[in-house]
Amino acid sequence: MEEQPEVVKIEQKFPSWRDMLKPVTEKDFKHGFYHYPILKRDAEYLKDYIPFGTRDWDPLDKDWKLPEDWKERFLNAFKDKLEKYRPFKLYMDICVRCGACADKCHYYLGTGDPKNMPVARAELLRSIYRRYFTKSGRIFKEWAGARELTEDVVKELYYYLYQCSLCRRCSAFCPYGIDTAEIVWRGREILNSIGVTHRFTPISIAACARTGNHLGLLPGGMAGALQSAAEDIAEITGVEIEVPINKKGAEVLFVAPSGDYFATPHWFGFMGYIMFFHEIGLDYTWSTYAGEGGNFGTFQSYELAKLLNQKIYHEAERLGVKWIIGGECGHMWRDKHQFMATMNYPLPSTLEDPVNPITGTYFENAAESKMVHIAEFVADVIKHKKVKLDKSRNDHWKVTFHDSCNPARAMGLFEEPRYVIQSCCNYFYEMPEHTIREKTYCCGSGGGNLTEEVMDLRMRGGMPRALALKEVVKKHGVNFMCTICAQDKAAFPILMEYWKLPVEIGAMMELVGNALIMKDEEQERTLDLRGNPLKRGEE
Amino acid sequence: MIGGAVFGVVIPYVAIAVFIVGVIYKIIGWANSAVPLKIPTTCGQQYTLPFLRRNIYDRFDCPQTMWETVGRMFFEIFFFRSLFRNTRFYYAPQMKYKDARWLWLFGIAFHYSLLLVLIDHLRFFMNPVPWFSSKLTDGLSLTGVFVPTLYLPGLLIVVALALLWARRLFFGKERTISLPSDHFVLILLLAITISGNLMRYFYKVDLEGVKELILCLSTFNVARAVSIADTIGPVLYIHLTLVSILLAYFPFSKLMHSAGVFFSPTRNMPNDNRVHIHINPWNPEVKGITYEQYYEMYKDQLDEIAENGYKVKPEV
Repeated sequence: MEEQPEVVKIEQKFPSWRDMLKPVTEKDFKHGFYHYPILKRDAEYLKDYIPFGTRDWDPLDKDWKLPEDWKERFLNAFKDKLEKYRPFKLYMDICVRCGACADKCHYYLGTGDPKNMPVARAELLRSIYRRYFTKSGRIFKEWAGARELTEDVVKELYYYLYQCSLCRRCSAFCPYGIDTAEIVWRGREILNSIGVTHRFTPISIAACARTGNHLGLLPGGMAGALQSAAEDIAEITGVEIEVPINKKGAEVLFVAPSGDYFATPHWFGFMGYIMFFHEIGLDYTWSTYAGEGGNFGTFQSYELAKLLNQKIYHEAERLGVKWIIGGECGHMWRDKHQFMATMNYPLPSTLEDPVNPITGTYFENAAESKMVHIAEFVADVIKHKKVKLDKSRNDHWKVTFHDSCNPARAMGLFEEPRYVIQSCCNYFYEMPEHTIREKTYCCGSGGGNLTEEVMDLRMRGGMPRALALKEVVKKHGVNFMCTICAQDKAAFPILMEYWKLPVEIGAMMELVGNALIMKDEEQERTLDLRGNPLKRGEE
Repeated sequence: MIGGAVFGVVIPYVAIAVFIVGVIYKIIGWANSAVPLKIPTTCGQQYTLPFLRRNIYDRFDCPQTMWETVGRMFFEIFFFRSLFRNTRFYYAPQMKYKDARWLWLFGIAFHYSLLLVLIDHLRFFMNPVPWFSSKLTDGLSLTGVFVPTLYLPGLLIVVALALLWARRLFFGKERTISLPSDHFVLILLLAITISGNLMRYFYKVDLEGVKELILCLSTFNVARAVSIADTIGPVLYIHLTLVSILLAYFPFSKLMHSAGVFFSPTRNMPNDNRVHIHINPWNPEVKGITYEQYYEMYKDQLDEIAENGYKVKPEV
């Protein structure tokens, strides 16, 4: 990591409306805030979805070598999106610029850049909409808040549309529910149509389209990861677990985000999954073809999202499972809850009602899409007392819970993880009320920003969360932040280092794995899943 | 003669025609675009396992059924629920968030005053005057202190508009995001409400004449309308022309939020995605790699997994 400044200065600027219409171009792009361009090999692989990606260009160049008819393509794509997406069209029209969203965006709070206000981000596209698709904009031009589409405007769009993490916090506060994620998503699709795309997500999309997971792990690698996890479990608990993989005829397919397969601290949650499923004796299977729950396509376009999530139903049908459980991941659950079933309708007829074979509970809220969140599943099992838990094994952790944006604001998953966590540990504290539940802050690295080159943006965007966490650290000595999102788990350790907070990040399933008393466990455990010595009942 | 006809008859007719056609055109435009995905913003606990109870806030902020969704829209439209959640972030001295409901208060004050003023105006449009209109007007008037009686919503609306405009003028963030059109609408509404109040208290006009003019206009009795139009004082025409400008401008402006809020998919859709699958009318076919192709690509490794009986064992 680069050298960190002692003091982070947030410079707030309030330019006039005229200045707001002037595009920010490559001359003003700041290091740590702009994304690198798409790689040629990914552009080649995804050329049906992202044309013109293989040219030589760099965001800092003056000439971006856009295709000759880029303006026409851009406007055609714009028109196409207006026709296909009512939310997009509506949100172009109805914003009153009341400013309720302005200080809700973590990126705005962290950077002070006026164009990072959600309303201003949307205005970047609205100004073009007014100029080319409304009468008042055509007649009154600038005075109606309209502006010409120029190459500089494209550069500005690229810069700011990739400074949004699609967390939808602004949408919760907007009196009309204007969803900036929807606008940014469409904006990125429009930019894709002229080959202006960033580097990070297409790498994972191409990898996932090919291998079945974002990291490009091959089947052998995934089996290897499962085996290592089983070995780690055996070392700590003494229980040797056989892990089913690609098993036909299992009752349940389990899909986790691929980060869980080898990243830390995801790994301990990964062990937690295996231990928990083994303990309750669930007939389930992992899959290599549909090994990825996450869906970076949802950061880019509808088609790319479908390219990735269709595999899950295909695999469910091939393996003949009855229903599906999904692991801990944020944007994955935006996709699985809101997108996947719609995109892949009609669903395979081989799927059956999601009934928990251990407790007999029918997951009514997943009746049609047949996909259940791991927190829902585990909460149900714990409630029916089908597992024994020893809370004191988590006594060395003082836990707080970070609501990940998408399970919170796209799904309404608040109580399930809290129920599970509180069943597994003795010390649980909530962060300040304005920063949890539907008001939760993003980690600053979601929505395609989990990449090194925008580190400054990420660390600044994580500021509101870090401040909220600091409060509970001071007040209750919190030293463990539990989250149910793979990107959070990747982003927060760096954030903790940057904002100097002595807090470990971990998965909900890690706490479950720690507390879980397994039937064939012969010896009392002395280590937690991380290999730390347990401190029972000590303050 | 000409002046009365132009300001009293032609301009109002044109404005109303533009308003009606424009609003319908805009709404049809929105309705013609598809809603590909169900994207409610959930602000409360979802409908879930039976032992996790949802309270009343959860049910309306994260609706599962149609009625809960209707409830959510009701609170959104009549009480500005989302705006009521508003917070303000303070950089100094402690980087704190505080509840900040001023915008909500001014917004509510303005919109309800507007509603009451419009109901009060029904007395010009209907004969006989509807009972609720005169009852409301009497109830909301301050009698006995001043002569003439003060109609409170008519004054409150001016105050609320002034406060809303002051936000845009004096707060940095709000000034930055305000376009000329935002100021224009506020100035126009201020001019309309101030001219209306002037008419009520200072420059009295012949109310009987006004009512007759409006009734003639609404029954398309144009000849009679033209002849009455000349008899009414000029203050009315300032007010009426400003209103006409507002009506004609309405469909092309952000004022369409009043219709748009009903269409917003993040608010008007229930959070029952996994129970009732939403159908996308233009769902595209996307060709990904099939399992057969995948198998061809990684044959050895997949076969090895198969040889091990579709399971992995720890090697201890």
